[in-house]
Amino acid sequence: MKMKFKAIASIAVVALSTLMLGSCTADADSSGLEYMPDMYRSPAIEPYVDYGEIRGRENTEAKMKISSLVPPSGTVPYYGKDSSTVALMLPYFRKASIAFRETHGMYGADLTVTDEYTAAASDMNPLKITAENSEELLKSGKTLYTAYCQHCHGEKGDGNGPMVLSGAYVGVPNYTERAAKSDGQLFYSIYYGLNAMGGHSSQLNKKEIWTLVHYVRKFQNASYGTFGASGEAIAAPVAVDSLSVKK
Amino acid sequence: MLVFFAGTFTANAQGEALFKAKCASCHQPHKNGTGPKLFQVRQKWTDGGAKEGSIYQWVNNWQTAAAGDPYAQTVSTWSPTAMSAFPELKKEEIDAIFEYVDGVTDPAAAGAGGTDGAAGDVTGADPLEEEDSNGWMWIILSVIFVTIILAVGGVRRQLNFAANEAQGKDSMDHLTYAEELKAWAWKYKTYVGVSTLVVVIGLIVTLFLGLYSIGVVENYQPSQPIAFPHAIHTGVNGIDCKYCHSSVEKSKSAGIPSVNVCMNCHKQVNGRTPAQQEQIAKIYDAAGWDPSGAGKYTGKSKPIVWNKVHVLPDHVYFNHSQHVVVGGIDCKQCHGDMTKQVETPKVQTVGDLNKIEGNIPLTKPTLTMGWCIECHGAKEISTGSIDSKNNGYYNEIHKRLLNNDKSLYGKYLEDGKVTVNELGGWECAKCHY
Repeated sequence: MKMKFKAIASIAVVALSTLMLGSCTADADSSGLEYMPDMYRSPAIEPYVDYGEIRGRENTEAKMKISSLVPPSGTVPYYGKDSSTVALMLPYFRKASIAFRETHGMYGADLTVTDEYTAAASDMNPLKITAENSEELLKSGKTLYTAYCQHCHGEKGDGNGPMVLSGAYVGVPNYTERAAKSDGQLFYSIYYGLNAMGGHSSQLNKKEIWTLVHYVRKFQNASYGTFGASGEAIAAPVAVDSLSVKK
Repeated sequence: MLVFFAGTFTANAQGEALFKAKCASCHQPHKNGTGPKLFQVRQKWTDGGAKEGSIYQWVNNWQTAAAGDPYAQTVSTWSPTAMSAFPELKKEEIDAIFEYVDGVTDPAAAGAGGTDGAAGDVTGADPLEEEDSNGWMWIILSVIFVTIILAVGGVRRQLNFAANEAQGKDSMDHLTYAEELKAWAWKYKTYVGVSTLVVVIGLIVTLFLGLYSIGVVENYQPSQPIAFPHAIHTGVNGIDCKYCHSSVEKSKSAGIPSVNVCMNCHKQVNGRTPAQQEQIAKIYDAAGWDPSGAGKYTGKSKPIVWNKVHVLPDHVYFNHSQHVVVGGIDCKQCHGDMTKQVETPKVQTVGDLNKIEGNIPLTKPTLTMGWCIECHGAKEISTGSIDSKNNGYYNEIHKRLLNNDKSLYGKYLEDGKVTVNELGGWECAKCHY
């Protein structure tokens, strides 16, 4: 009787500790044993989760093969029913030039035109800056600039960002001194990239880029976006550089 | 001699200014970029058989030079990106630029003594060790204590035996330790029963608390296909988290950057040390970028599979944009100070997170439910008026509280603050559905 109890007790202790220790693993790449894998991996696919192996069952078709992709070209996210927002967010009608295939990648993009950068000079900023939205627009522009541009172009747009100062990156132009590009060309450069700079269309949507176009205008003209008592714009028109034409 | 130096200095200063204003965004002295490297480019053109003076013509307008000189024609095929025309530059100015460029020493040849940006790694070993030695002290003390009790008990028993023997009784002699204990426990059964119950309940509670405190995922640091050092990118080079994790304000997940985002910088940045170059070469491999010569995309890209670090089971819903945009939480409050993360990312321990400025001190391990709940119970969505954060998100709930249940509203504002919990942050269905 006593022996039987002892045997049962020791088996129970061993079983319990095996179960507990089982969730610890020496494999540094394993986040531990999933006791209920169906509660860890949803039937609806979640991003960055590998569905290739669940509890020893291999599913090579569902195995994660790539972590991150740019959206397929031509896809349009849903932006609601407001027609002006939708018009603003529709895919950019200008194409990257053929040369971008070698210089900027753009795999899968429709690269048929030789030069749309020149033509982009005539594009107007669809996001109008007014006395009412000026403060808010420039504020969100500053937030975007801090996150997406400042490390190279510098807080004041002078090309002295922390990346340049640390010596990691060279040749960022000083945009406070240069003659400005037109709004459309600024947009084109941010969207597809220009020379050493890569395209940012996978990180920023069109509304955000047009907001940035407004914000960087302030580097060349400090009074940009300020309005008089009767609502007229105070800023003098920015001198636009029409020369810089690439094939 | 002095005059000579002064002369070269002013010429160089003019050349440097011109180079930085006109050329530097595409050309570097010793490294190919958008344009070819310019070190001793005049010599290169002469050696290549270019016509006398055609290089100056090229700078003024490359197309006229290419039309008149076969060598210039071959140069124009170097890269599909055409050079801008600079008709305003005079021959002396162009020479000044070239003089300046030829005078620049190659930083790569000067030795790889540059800052590699590896900030001193902060090890959290000290407090841990202290805790450990404390624990050992308790164990040693209790061992000594138990030994003393046993020794005293043994002596007492022997004395009892001796006393019994002297009195001529020998009944106790045959009792073993266990039998003696049994007799004693039976004698005081009420006390023994109650205290055993207390001890057992105490042990069970301690066991469960101990199990809860096991960090299932703390310090989880899976290997990554590329040894990405956050410390260099966001620490030394000051890149904002959102540049790469750009969906954090728009989506449930913060997003792992696609390789084109890496290439926005790494087209030009290819590493100072061989170890860095080896890692960056993996990006080139993935992006299909051939860095030789002018560098070009080949179209042969390869996928990268990063390993997920912060693994939440599917039955938990977590949304980054809600926490970052509405809650106004900074990345480092949950992910730690990535500007000091030299190695690949890991799940920070709650102890390390508590050291982050402005964080509410929490006790439960990172990424456990207790950790979430604890923060939701203490984190205020605002101090004072509910909409003081000015993002308008809470205005609607504010209005409903005012119109429907004033006593509840009064209770919320009793302590002058509204926590996430008070707005339903502890409701099961907020995260589990």
